[in-house]
Amino acid sequence: MVRRMGRLQILALVLIAPAFAMGTEPVAQITTDSRDYCRELALRLASMPGATSEPARSLAEDGLRLCENGHPRSGVARLRRAIRAAQPEH
Amino acid sequence: MLRFLRSAGFRFALLFAGIFIGAAALFALVLWYATAGSLDRQTDASVRTDALGLIERWREAGPGAVAEAIADRLASDVEGTAIYLLLDSNGVRLAGNLDRWPAEASPDAPWSFGTVQREGNLIDARLHVLELGERYRLLVGRDVGEKQALRTLLAEGIAWAAVAASFVALVGAAVLRRAVEQRLRPAALTAQAIAAGDLSRRVPVSHRADEFDRLGESMNDMLDRIDRLMAGVRGVSDSIAHDLRTPIARARAKLEEALDGQAAPEALRAAMEQGIADLDHITRVFGALLRIAEAEAGARRAAFAPLDLVPLLAEVAEFYGAVAESGGQAIAIELPARLDVVGDRDLLAQAVGNLLDNALKFTPPGGRVRIAARAPARDRIDLVVEDTGPGLPAADRARAGERFFRADASRGTPGSGLGLSLVRAVAHLHGGDLLLEDAAPGAAQPGLRATIRLGIA
Repeated sequence: MVRRMGRLQILALVLIAPAFAMGTEPVAQITTDSRDYCRELALRLASMPGATSEPARSLAEDGLRLCENGHPRSGVARLRRAIRAAQPEH
Repeated sequence: MLRFLRSAGFRFALLFAGIFIGAAALFALVLWYATAGSLDRQTDASVRTDALGLIERWREAGPGAVAEAIADRLASDVEGTAIYLLLDSNGVRLAGNLDRWPAEASPDAPWSFGTVQREGNLIDARLHVLELGERYRLLVGRDVGEKQALRTLLAEGIAWAAVAASFVALVGAAVLRRAVEQRLRPAALTAQAIAAGDLSRRVPVSHRADEFDRLGESMNDMLDRIDRLMAGVRGVSDSIAHDLRTPIARARAKLEEALDGQAAPEALRAAMEQGIADLDHITRVFGALLRIAEAEAGARRAAFAPLDLVPLLAEVAEFYGAVAESGGQAIAIELPARLDVVGDRDLLAQAVGNLLDNALKFTPPGGRVRIAARAPARDRIDLVVEDTGPGLPAADRARAGERFFRADASRGTPGSGLGLSLVRAVAHLHGGDLLLEDAAPGAAQPGLRATIRLGIA
């Protein structure tokens, strides 16, 4: 009898578990507010011809500093502005 | 409370509040469409343009080019609102800034609102799903958190504005209700005073010449008319009491005399005949009053029939011809060949008879009475009776149609003062009127011209 109850509990767990899993599906997360992306943007900027000219250089330095100090979103925004500034048409 | 809710002032106020709130709601709707709606449309247009550019890249160079374009766009997205995700046929992430496919985004519903996580916070996002081919899927979106915050602010502003508008509507409604009540108050007070028996009260008029003043003036006109009618009724009652008292008292005295038993049979007979004559006079007065009342009420209109007035007038003139001859007077008749009218034959005959009777009564011996009829217009017939008597002063002519009215000059002649009242009532019954004027204006004996003007029914 006890063995039969144990089997039923396992069966219920197997059936209910996916439902719980569906209900707790993780929310999609934005990945560009991170230090990794800061570094990726810095590398991209470095390969650009206008990276060393102002104001791109200063913006990039500010951006990297913010990222290092735990403000990746603000840092990313500065680096993006630096990339814009370094683009030839600008 | 129920009385308050049923009042016209409350209903006007409610109407005002309804219109005001409706206008405010319409204004808020337009404002919302022009601001929040515009923000949504701008976001959708931006996402659509972005997606079209990536589809173009897909067609030109395939998934690698799309991934590269996404990286470029993310790198130069200064506002930091762009969202991209490119998955290959196996669901593997190739490019973009989302770590997984959002649950809300489905190819079945290409446009949707979803929730994504940014630095630990959940934010709203507008998402657009595209099937690129070869089972590659692209998601283009925008972080609309700030726009949502703006929408919330706008909604809060509109909500506060709605509260303010409702307050203004209620205050305005209360002011309007009070204004209507204040303007109607004099009329209501006057009506109450009249209902309590004070018929002399009139509605004060403010001379603003608005609807309330017009209502007050109409009420005052109505009250004046009621006053005149009541005075007329009082006059008739007084006249009946006054005019009938004498013949009734005389009849009673004669009958008492007869009861005495000492009079000779001839005297007894004469007393009884006098009593009967007095009672006949009373009966005639009541008969005349009833006929006038019938004519004024229009009860005889059912008896209207087409008739030719000419033979009727000739018959009446002939009847009175004998009376005229005995008084040394002459009756001149001027009638056309035919005069068709729809009316009451008996009443018309009696009306003309009354006029002839009056004319003969006041025309001195040797005088002349003229009876004429003509149709000066298609819908008008004039029946004229004029005499060469002393005529009537203008003040008496104005009152001549009143029941029991007798001019001073006629006090000595027999009559009850009801003849012209009946003529006027008959003229009104036939859609016309009775006109009295001097037959020969300026003459020493101007005579009286009485015209029954009939409308052809």
